[in-house]
Amino acid sequence: MTSYFIRRLLLVIPTFLGITVLVFAVTRVVPGGPIERAMNEALLAQTDSAVMIDMNSVAGAALSEDQLAELRAYYGFDKPWHESYVIWLGRVMQLDLGMSTRYTEPVWDIIKNRFPISIFYGIMTLILTYAVCIPLGIAKALRHNSVFDNATSAVVFFGYALPGYVVAIGLLTALASAWEWFPLGGFVSDNFDQLSTADQAIDILYHATLPLIAYLAGSFAVMTFMVKNSLMDNLSSDYVRTAIAKGMSFKRAVFRHALRNSLIPVATSFGQLISVIISGSFLIEKIFNIDGFGLLGFESLVERDYPVVMGILVISSLLFLVGNILSDICVAIVDPRVKFGENGS
Amino acid sequence: MKLRPQLNPLTQRQLARFRSLKRGYWSAVILLITIVLSIGAELLVNSRALIVSYEGNWFFPTYDKYLPGSTFGLGYEYETNFRELKVFFERQPSNSNWVIMPLVPYNAFEVDLPAGRYPPNAPSLSEKHYLGTDTTGRDVLARLVYGFRIAISFSLILLICNYTIGVALGCAMGFWGGAFDLFFQRIIEVWSNVPFLYVIMIIASVIIPNFWTLMIVMVIFGWMSMTWYMRTSTYKEKTRAYVLAARALGASNARVIFSHILPNSISIIVTFVPFAIAGGITSLTALDYLGFGLPPPTPSWGELLSQGTSQLESPWLVTSVVGAMVAILLMVTYVGEAVREAFDPKKFAYYE
Repeated sequence: MTSYFIRRLLLVIPTFLGITVLVFAVTRVVPGGPIERAMNEALLAQTDSAVMIDMNSVAGAALSEDQLAELRAYYGFDKPWHESYVIWLGRVMQLDLGMSTRYTEPVWDIIKNRFPISIFYGIMTLILTYAVCIPLGIAKALRHNSVFDNATSAVVFFGYALPGYVVAIGLLTALASAWEWFPLGGFVSDNFDQLSTADQAIDILYHATLPLIAYLAGSFAVMTFMVKNSLMDNLSSDYVRTAIAKGMSFKRAVFRHALRNSLIPVATSFGQLISVIISGSFLIEKIFNIDGFGLLGFESLVERDYPVVMGILVISSLLFLVGNILSDICVAIVDPRVKFGENGS
Repeated sequence: MKLRPQLNPLTQRQLARFRSLKRGYWSAVILLITIVLSIGAELLVNSRALIVSYEGNWFFPTYDKYLPGSTFGLGYEYETNFRELKVFFERQPSNSNWVIMPLVPYNAFEVDLPAGRYPPNAPSLSEKHYLGTDTTGRDVLARLVYGFRIAISFSLILLICNYTIGVALGCAMGFWGGAFDLFFQRIIEVWSNVPFLYVIMIIASVIIPNFWTLMIVMVIFGWMSMTWYMRTSTYKEKTRAYVLAARALGASNARVIFSHILPNSISIIVTFVPFAIAGGITSLTALDYLGFGLPPPTPSWGELLSQGTSQLESPWLVTSVVGAMVAILLMVTYVGEAVREAFDPKKFAYYE
C-alpha cells in the first residue's frame, strides 16, 4: 500500500502542472491585464476628461514605446506565455510567488495575512459540524421515521437546498438589517483594540455568528445523513443482529459495535483539514464584508492582480491534492479492511 | 390491442414509488406547472394587453407585431401604452371599446417612474406593482418571473449538454478502458481541480457573455462529474453476468451498450437530475450576483439579489428574490430526494 501512496503523491505533480498551465494560459490570453491597467492610468493622469476612444492609439500617446516595453518586462508580458510560465514555475519552485501588481507587496505576505481569519472560520465550522452532526445523525438513525426524525430532516434539508450565499443574504436582511440583532458585517468592531480580552472574544463571536450559520447550513445535511445512513447500514448488518441475539443490550450493541464502524466515512474528510488555512467562500465573505481568503481571491481577480490569483491557486490546489491523499491515508488507518491499490481502484 | 406503450415493470414500480412519496410528487407537480406557466409568461406578466376590442375589431397584441398608438386613435406613432389605453377607454363608457390586461401589467424591462417618487418603490396593489419596483423602477415581480424562465431554461439546457457529454464519454471510458480511460482520467482530474467559478469569472469579465457563450463556458467546466459516475457504472455493469451472457450470444458492442448497459445505468443518471438543475440555477444566480453572468438588462435573480443587498432599506427586493429561490430550490430538492428514494431504495432493518 505504501507504493500506492507514493504513486498517488507522484501523480500530484502532473495534475498540479496541468492546473497551473491552464489557469496561467487563461490569464495571459484574456485582455485587460496589468499593462492595459497601467496604460489606462497613464491616460487618466494625462487627460482629465478621459474619453474612452481606441485604447491603443491614445495610450500610445500617453506612454512611449520604451515605457510600454519596460512595463511589459516588469510584468513578464514581454515573452510568449509558455516561456513566462516556465520562469514563473521556476520561481515558485524557489518558494517565490512574485509581487502583487496591485499592492506591490510580495504575494506570500498578502496571503499570509489572511490566514488567521480563514483558520478561525475553518476550525469553527469544522468543530460545530462534528459537534452537531454526529449526535444528530445517531439520534435520527435510532429513531428512524419518527416525528423527531422527519422534523429534523425538514430543517436540515432546508439548509441543504439553499446555497450558502442565499442563507447569508437572508440572515443579513432579517437579523442584521431589519432587527439589528447582529452587526452588518466585518470581522471585528472598529474599537476592537480598546476592548479587554474577554470582550474581544465576545466581539469576534458576535460578528461570526451569522457567517458561521451561512457556512454551516449546507454542510450539516451531508454530514448528518452520512452518519445516519451508515449507522443504519451497520445496525441492520449481521454482526449487530448476532450481538443482540446473544443477549447484548441494544445500547451496548449500538455504541460499542455499530457506531465505531459507522464513523469510518467521517474519516474521509479528515485529510481536507489542512485546507482550513485557506477556507472561506468569497460569496459569503463578500456579503458579510470579511477580509478573508475568498474575498482576496475575488478582488485580485477583479483587479487583474494575476500574481495573487496564481499564488492562491498554487496554495489551494496543492493543499487540496495533498489533502485528498491524506484522507485516503486516514481511512486506511481507521479501517484496516480498506486496501488501496490492490484491485486497481 | 393496447394503445398505451407498455413500460417495463421495473420502471412502472419506480414511478409508482415516486408517486407514493407525497412531498416529492407534489413538488414535482407544482414545479412542472410553474415551468409551463413561465413558458407562457407573456400572457401573465406583460405590458401588452391580452385582448383589445376597438371599434368592433379585436386585437391580440401579446404575440403580435408592434402596434403604434395611432391604431387605437391615440395621437402617437410609438408603441401603444396599453395601461393608459385601458384608462382612456374606461373614461369613455359610451364606447364599447375595452382592454383586458394581463395579471401583472408590466414587462421586465420598462421603467415605471411615478412622479415625485424615486425608485425603488414599495409594493402597491393599486399600481399593480405587487412586489414593488427595483432601483431603476422596473417591476420586481415581472423580473422575477422572466428571470426564473431564463434561469430554468439555462439550467435545463446545461443539464442536457453536460449529460450528453458525460454519458457518451463516461460510457466509452468504462467500456473500452485501457489507455483511453487513463488519458481521460487524468484530464478529468486536472479539469475538476481547476477552480471553476474562478475561471468562469476570468473569462466572463472579458467577453461579456450572452446566454450561449456563458452556456459553453459552463459546459466546458461542468461535464466531468456525470462522466465520472457513468464511467464507474459502466465499469461495474460490464462485468455483470447478463452482459457476459449477451456477449456469449453474439451481441455487438453497440447492442451491449445501448440495450443492456445504458438502460441499467439510467437510474443513476436520473437520481442526479434534480440536484444538477438546482446547481445550475444556483451557479447562474451566483454569477449574476457578482456581475459576471448575463449582461444587464437581462432579468435575473442574481442581479435582483445584488440590488437587494446594497439596498437593505428596501426589504421587498431581498425578500421577494430570496423567497422565490427558497421556494424553487426547496421543491427541486424535495423532488430529488423522492427520485433518489424511488430509483435507489435503501431498505433498512431497524429495531423497535
